[in-house]
Amino acid sequence: MAAPDHLFNLRNNFYLGAYQAAINSSDGSNLSPDDVVERDSLVHRCYIALGQLQFVISEIDQNAPTPLQAVKLLALYFSGASQKESAISSLKEWLADPAIGNNPTLRLIAGTIFLHEQDFNEALKYTNAGGTMELHALNVQIFIKMHRSDYAERQLRMMQQIDEDHTLTQLANAWLDLAVGGSKIQEAHLIFQDLSERYQSTSLLLNGKAVCCMHMGNFDEAETLLVEALNKASFS
Amino acid sequence: MLTKFETKSNRVKGLSFHPKRPWILASLHSGVIQLWDYRMGTLIDKFDEHDGPVRGVHFHYSQPLFVSGGDDYKIKVWNYKLHRCLFTLLGHLDYIRTVQFHHENPWIVSASDDQTIRVWNWQSRTCISVLTGHNHYVMCALFHPKEDLVVSASLDQTVRVWDISSLKRKNASPADDLLRLSQMNTDLFGGIDAVVKYVLEGHDRGVNWASFHPTLPLIVSGADDRQVKLWRMNDTKAWEVDTLRGHMNNVSCVMFHAKQDIIVSNSEDKSIRIWDATKRTGVQTFRREHDRFWILAAHPEMNLLAAGHDSGMIVFKLERERPAFVVSGDTLFYTKERFLCSYEFSTQRDTQILPFRRPGSLSLNQSPKTLSYSPTDNAFLLCSDVDGGSYELYCITKDSYGRGDLQDAKKGHGGSAVFVSRNRFAVLEKSNNQNETVKKSALPIATDAIFYAGTGNVLCRSEDRVVIFDLQQRIVLGELQTPFIKYVVWSNDMEHVALLSKHAIIIASKKLVHQCTLHETIRVKSGAWDDNGVFIYTTLNHIKYCLPNGDSGIIKTLDIPIYITKVSGNTIFCLDRDGKSRAIIIDATEYIFKLSLLKKRYDHVMNMIRNSQLCGQAVIAYLQQKGFPEVALHFVKDERIRFNLALESGNIQTAVASATAIDEKDHWYRLGVEALRQGNAGIVEYAYQRTKNFERLSFLYLVTGNLEKLSKMLKIAEVKNDVMGQFHNALYLGDVRERVKILENVSHLPLAYITASVHGLHDVAERLAAELGDDVPSLPEGKVPSLLMPPSPVMCGSDWPLLRVMRGMFDGAFDNAGRGVADEEEYEAADADWGEELDIVDVDGVQNGDVAAILEDGEVAEENDEEGGWEMEDLGLGPEEDTPRAANSASSVFVTPTPGMPVSQIWIQKSSLAADHAAAGNFETAMRLLNRQLGIRNFTPLRSMFIDLHSGSHSYLRAFSSAPVISLAIERGWTESASANVRGPPALPFKFSQLDEKLRAGYKLTTAGKFTEALRTFVNILHTIPLVVVESRREVDEVKELIIIVKEYVLGLQMELKRREIRDNPARQQELAAYFTHCNLQTPHLRLALQNAMTVCVKAKNLATAYNFARRLLETNPTVESQTKAARQVIAVAERSMTDTTELNYDFRNPFVICGATYVPIYRGQKDVSCPYCTSRFVPSQKGELCTVCDLAVVGEDASGLLCSPSQIR
Repeated sequence: MAAPDHLFNLRNNFYLGAYQAAINSSDGSNLSPDDVVERDSLVHRCYIALGQLQFVISEIDQNAPTPLQAVKLLALYFSGASQKESAISSLKEWLADPAIGNNPTLRLIAGTIFLHEQDFNEALKYTNAGGTMELHALNVQIFIKMHRSDYAERQLRMMQQIDEDHTLTQLANAWLDLAVGGSKIQEAHLIFQDLSERYQSTSLLLNGKAVCCMHMGNFDEAETLLVEALNKASFS
Repeated sequence: MLTKFETKSNRVKGLSFHPKRPWILASLHSGVIQLWDYRMGTLIDKFDEHDGPVRGVHFHYSQPLFVSGGDDYKIKVWNYKLHRCLFTLLGHLDYIRTVQFHHENPWIVSASDDQTIRVWNWQSRTCISVLTGHNHYVMCALFHPKEDLVVSASLDQTVRVWDISSLKRKNASPADDLLRLSQMNTDLFGGIDAVVKYVLEGHDRGVNWASFHPTLPLIVSGADDRQVKLWRMNDTKAWEVDTLRGHMNNVSCVMFHAKQDIIVSNSEDKSIRIWDATKRTGVQTFRREHDRFWILAAHPEMNLLAAGHDSGMIVFKLERERPAFVVSGDTLFYTKERFLCSYEFSTQRDTQILPFRRPGSLSLNQSPKTLSYSPTDNAFLLCSDVDGGSYELYCITKDSYGRGDLQDAKKGHGGSAVFVSRNRFAVLEKSNNQNETVKKSALPIATDAIFYAGTGNVLCRSEDRVVIFDLQQRIVLGELQTPFIKYVVWSNDMEHVALLSKHAIIIASKKLVHQCTLHETIRVKSGAWDDNGVFIYTTLNHIKYCLPNGDSGIIKTLDIPIYITKVSGNTIFCLDRDGKSRAIIIDATEYIFKLSLLKKRYDHVMNMIRNSQLCGQAVIAYLQQKGFPEVALHFVKDERIRFNLALESGNIQTAVASATAIDEKDHWYRLGVEALRQGNAGIVEYAYQRTKNFERLSFLYLVTGNLEKLSKMLKIAEVKNDVMGQFHNALYLGDVRERVKILENVSHLPLAYITASVHGLHDVAERLAAELGDDVPSLPEGKVPSLLMPPSPVMCGSDWPLLRVMRGMFDGAFDNAGRGVADEEEYEAADADWGEELDIVDVDGVQNGDVAAILEDGEVAEENDEEGGWEMEDLGLGPEEDTPRAANSASSVFVTPTPGMPVSQIWIQKSSLAADHAAAGNFETAMRLLNRQLGIRNFTPLRSMFIDLHSGSHSYLRAFSSAPVISLAIERGWTESASANVRGPPALPFKFSQLDEKLRAGYKLTTAGKFTEALRTFVNILHTIPLVVVESRREVDEVKELIIIVKEYVLGLQMELKRREIRDNPARQQELAAYFTHCNLQTPHLRLALQNAMTVCVKAKNLATAYNFARRLLETNPTVESQTKAARQVIAVAERSMTDTTELNYDFRNPFVICGATYVPIYRGQKDVSCPYCTSRFVPSQKGELCTVCDLAVVGEDASGLLCSPSQIR
C-alpha cells in the first residue's frame, strides 16, 4: 500500500477549482519538507486563481524556494501590463539557468505564461517533456488550443498510463472529449458529473457541464447550470 | 447445500415438517419424538411414550395432530396442542416402519415388518384395510398426493402400487353394520378393498423406500442394491425407466423434489445425493464424516428439506432463494431463473433484459449472488459461486433490451465484483477482466467480500469488521467492528449505511461511525431506507422499522420471506422468492410519529395526533418511556392514567381536572404533593380542602402567612370540637388568650394558668389561680418569657413564581401551539442567518475578485477573436506564419507540431452560407457572400447579428488553473451517435421558428395600431433572414415566402407612417392610404386599411373612391359589426353622388405595384427595377440606391439569390 497522500485533498480541490476549499484543507501535520514546498506553492496558486495577486507577491520573499518564486512570477505576470514584460524576461532568465531551469513548477508556470502569450512553441519547449501530471495536463490544453487533438490524445494516453483515476486525467479527458466533439461530448458530461458526485460541485465543473449541454444543444439546462455556477462563484 | 438448522440427538429415523409453522418432528431411535422450531432453533416439546425406536412420524395437514409408529407395534395419534397422545391404534404384529396421514380422508397408512400395510380411520379409530401381498418386511408405504394409490417398498425386492379407490367408495357410504361386516371380512380374508395394481420388480436386494412424483406418473425407489430406480406408470402398466447408480451403500430414502426437476436420495454411505431427474445424472453429493443417513423429508410448501442421520438431523435448502437484485433510480434489476429482468417502480412494468445462462444447464447454487449496475454504461456485473467465485460482465445497449439472444459475457474470477464508478469496477483478488484496465491495490484488512461504498470507494468485509477503503487515495476512510456482514444497504443520499448480518442490523454513517445496533432473534433478510431516514427491514416473518436512534418495531407480519427493494412513502416494493415484484402498502404512521418525536418536529406530531388513529398502550408506553408524558397525555381517556401522566409531566391543570373527576383521597393527596413541589399554593389548598386534611391545611396557611384563613381554621376546629387542632391553630396564630381558653375548656387548668401568667394575662391568671386554689404551679425563676410568633413568610398567599412557565406546545389549544413552534423555528432560522451572513460577507470579498478575473479573461479572449474576425487577413496568414517557426525549433529535440485547423476554418471551407461564415468569425467572407447572393451592401444593420452569431457558436471552457480558457466551437444538429472529430456546421442562435414568432408579434402590433414598433419588428425579420439557416428545401421556400410577406408589411407600414406625417396634403394622404390597401396584408389588417382609406376619402369628399373601398371592405365579409355598418353608410352616401373632388394618382382598375422609395404606383407595363433581396419594386430612377424597404441591398443589383440551406448547395 502506498503511503497516504497528505496533500491529496488540497491538490484535488485545486484541480477542481474549489480554491477556497483547497486553502482551507491545506493544514496538515507531519509533512515532509518537499510536501511543505508543494503545499505552499499550491496554496499560493489558489490565491492567484482567486485573484489575490498582491497577497501572493508580498507573501513570497527572496529566500523562498524555486517553485514558490515561480508562482510569484505568475502572480507578477497577471498583475498588470507593466509587470508582464519583466516577469517574462526573468522567467526566461531562470529557465536558462541549468540549476533551476528543470524545476517542474517553474516549467509549468513557464508553460502557462507562454500559453497566455499565445506562444505555443515556447510553451511546449518547457512542458513537452512532462514529468508531473500537471505538466501533462497543461500539454493537453496547449495541444487543444493548437487544434491538434491527435497530440493531445497522445498526452492523455500517457496520463492514463500513469494514473487513470487521477482527477487531472479525468479532467484532461473531458477537455479533449469536448475538443473533438461528436459522441464524445456525452463522455465529457459524464466525467464532469462523476467528479462533482465524487468530490463536490464547483463552478469549474458546473461550467464544464454547461459547455457540454450547450454542445448537445441543451441550452436551457446549460443556463441553469451556469446560473448555479455563478451562485457558487459568488457564495462559496 | 445451505444448512438452516442442525440438531444433535440419538439416531433420527422419522421426520415430518409442519405444513404451516416452522416446526419439524423428529422421531428417534431412543423412542423420543422431538418437536423443533427450526427457525428459532429451539426444542418445543418432547413426546416420550413409545417403547423402543420410533421409525415413522407425520403431521396432519390441518388438524393439530401427528401420528407416530414404533417398534412397540403401536401407532399413536397425538395432539400437540394438548401435549398428549390421544389414542393408540393396535393391530400390527411387528415393527412399524412408516406412518402417514391421507391428505383429505381421515386415514393413516402404515407399513410394518409383519409384511402388511394397513389403512386406518383415525376418526373411528379402526383399521379399515389390510394390504397383504408383500412377502417380507414392508419398509415404506405412502399415499399418492392426489390419486387413490399407495406405493410400498419391501425387502422382498419389489415395489408395489395399490389401488385403494374401492376403499374410498366404501367409506363414502354411511358407516353401519355393513361396514363393520366388510371390515371383518377384510381382517379375515385380506384386502378386497385394495388391490395390487402393479408390482415393480427390478431391484436385486430389498427395497427401502419408494415414493410418487408429486404431479407426474413416476415413482422413484431406493434399495439395498445401492441403486435408485425410476419407474413410470400409465393406466395399465408400469415399467422401469432408468437406474441411478452412485451410492456406495444401502439407499435408505429417496424422493422427488417438489419444485425442481431433481431427485434427492440418501444412503447409509453417509451421503445425500442430488440427481437430475431428466438427464438422470448425479448433480451433487453432500457427505458426512460419520453419520449414516436414514430418512429424508420435504416441506410441503417451502423449499426446505430435512435429513435424519445417526447423530441428529439437518434442515437444509439446496439453493439460495434470494434473487440477486440492484436498484438504480426508478428501476429494479433482478435475476429470475436464467434471465436478467428489470422492473420499473412507477409503472410496475416488468421486462426481461437478457438471458445470462444457457437453458438446461442445471447446477445447484450457481445462480448469481450479487448484481452490480452501472447506469451510464448500462452494464451489469453478476457474481456467483461458479468455479469458486467468478463474475460476468454484460453491457447492454438500449435497443437490445429484451432480445432473447445470449450475449457472450466477459468473465473473470474473483470473490466479488462491484462497480466503483461509471466505468470501473473492483474485483476482489485474482486476475482481472480482459478489456478493462485495473489497478491492484492491497486492501488494509483480510477481506472476504467487497461492497459498493460510493464512487471510488469499496466497503471491505472480513469476519469481524468492515472498512471503507478509498481506492484512489489508498486510505481507510472508516472502520467498524461488526459481526459478519451479509448485506450492505446505503441510504438514498449515501449518508447512512445499514449493515445486515445474520441476526443484527448496524446503522452507521457514511464514514462508518456507529449509530445503533439492533439484534434480532430470527434472521434478518433485507432492508431499504425510506425517504425520511428510517430503515425498513424484513426478517423471516416480519417487516420492521428502525429509527435513527435504534428504536425499532414491527410494521407487519409476513407469511413468506420477502426481499425489500425500495421503500417509497407507504409502499414497500419487494421481491419474493419466485422473483416476483410486489408492492406492499404499510401503515407508516407509527414510525413516522416516532421519527417526528425524535426529530422534535412537534408540529408533525401534533398533526398526527389530530388526524390519525394513533392510540393504544404501546404508544403511551413509548411516549412515557421516551420522556414525553405530556404528549402521551393526549392519547389517554382513562382519568387515572391521565392523572398519572399529568403529574409526571407536571401539568397541574390537567391533574386537577382528572383528580376532580376521580375524586379519591389518594389522588388528591398526590396532587397536593405535586402542587406543593411546584409551589402552587392555591391547588395545594384545594387538594387539602378536598381531603379535609385540616392539619396540613393549617400548616399551609401558616407557611403562606394566611392568618385570616388560619383563624377560620381555628373556628372550624372549634366547631369540630378538635381540641388539638384548635390549640395548634391558636399557637400558629400566636393567640395566647385563645390558647388559655382552650386549655381551660379542657380542664388543663395548671397549663392554662402557666400560659396566662407567662404571657402576662394577669387577670386571667388570677382568676385561674383562684380556681386552682392551692395547686397553683410555680413558675420558673429568672427567665424572661417571650411569645413565640411564627415568622411572617416572604411570599404571602400566592403561588410561587416559576422561572419558566411550563407551557409546552402540547398544553392547551393545539392550534396556538402550532404557531408557537413556527415562531420558534423562525427565531432559530434568524439566528442561523446571522452566522451565515457573516460568512457570506467574508467570502464575497475573496470571490468577487475571482469573478472579475474570470470575466476579464473571457472578455479579453472574446475581443481577440472578434478582431481576428473583422480583419480577415490576419487569420488567413496565421498558419503560414507558424510553419517556419516550427522549422526553427527543429533544432531542439522536441519538434513542436504545427497548429491544427481551428473548427471555424473548417466551417468556412465547408460552407457557402453567410451565417456559417459569420459564426466562424470570418465576417469579411460572410459579407462578400451576402453581397454576391443578395446584393447586400449596407451591413450596418447586420453587425450586431454577426457578432451574436460568432459568440453564440462558441463556448469557453475553463480548464487548467490560471491557464487561458479554451474556446470550443458549438456545432448544430448534435446527436448521440455523432462521431468524434467530424465537424458539423456551427450552431446558430437565429432560427426560423423564432422568425415565425416575431412575425406573429408583428401582426399583433399591427392590429393594435402600434405601427412604429410593428415596422421595427418586420424590418428586424428582414434583417435576420439572410443569416438564417434551415435544413430542407421546403423550409427554404417558406423563408422566401416570409420575405415577401414581411416586405409587403414593411412597405405598407412605411406608407402609413408617412401618411400620418403629412397633414397638409389631403390628396397625398388619400393616395398613400389607398396604396396601403394594395399591400398584401392579412385579412383583418386589410379590413383596417380599407376602413382607414375609406374614412380618409369620405373626409376628403372623394366619394367614388370611398365607394370602391367600402365595396372591397364588404367583400371581405367583415366580422366586426361597426365596419359593416360604416361601409354600408359610405355606399349609401356615395351612391347619391358618385364623384371625386380631388384627382388621385390611383386607378384601382389598373393593376399596379408600389415603388418602395417614392410610394407611387407602377402600373403594369411600366418600367421598374427591383431589390435583389426583398424583391420590392422601384421606379427606374432608384437603381443603384439602397433599398428603402429592407435597408440592406442595392436596388437593381445582380445577385444569385438567397442561399439559406445546405440543401440548396447539394
